[in-house]
Amino acid sequence: MDVTRRDGKGGQDVLRRVGEASVLILISLADGPKHGYALIQDIKELAGVELGPGTLYGALDRLERLGLIDPLPAEDRRHPYRITAPGAAALRVHLDSLERVSAAGRLRLRLGGI
Amino acid sequence: MDDHRAPRLVETALRCYPARWRYRHGHEAAELAALLIRDGTPAGTVALSYLAGAAREWLTPRPERRLTALACALLVAACSLGVSAGLLASAGPARAASTSQPPPRAHCPTGPPGPVPGVTAATGHPREIIWEAGHGRPC
Repeated sequence: MDVTRRDGKGGQDVLRRVGEASVLILISLADGPKHGYALIQDIKELAGVELGPGTLYGALDRLERLGLIDPLPAEDRRHPYRITAPGAAALRVHLDSLERVSAAGRLRLRLGGI
Repeated sequence: MDDHRAPRLVETALRCYPARWRYRHGHEAAELAALLIRDGTPAGTVALSYLAGAAREWLTPRPERRLTALACALLVAACSLGVSAGLLASAGPARAASTSQPPPRAHCPTGPPGPVPGVTAATGHPREIIWEAGHGRPC
């Protein structure tokens, strides 16, 4: 079963190889723009994951290079980021893939009687 | 960790990033570190995270860095070619002069060499044998 490569509409899952931190950042940005500190706090609440600041900036740079997020004008020293339309589409494709994998895993656990 | 050492540790870690990164994120990263330390994250953990991030930043191939490396490689190749050509050009006339008029070798007698001191010629063909087996002798 090919659950991770493509979504139902044929879009490619570009987030498959970007790492968990990048996916969590996109999920956090899905409800509005945030800067670094707000992202770390939100991800801690949302997923119980404490992103290191070095990991955060690496992931932000990668996502920006991929065109999945955009930096907004700086507020004081802080640079807020917002998710772009391709970023939102990529996140949707990735979450659909995860849902299918999750459902398949649950089904197999039930069938295996574990 | 005391109040003075924590920011210095983070500053040192931030200095490990490429200048381009520091120009873009440096101030914000320092402020973020201060906020995280204020919230209770150990300064060492923050500094370590920035160090790891700096290592990743240097190791990640970027198109502009690849172009710089290519330009450097081309420059080195051009310099090597130039030096080689210069050496060949300067060695050419000297070699030509040495081949057109071979200098007489005053220390080498013409004809087969004489017997090596301490070597007694055997009966038969002593001279030819010594001539053929003149190991390492200049003449």
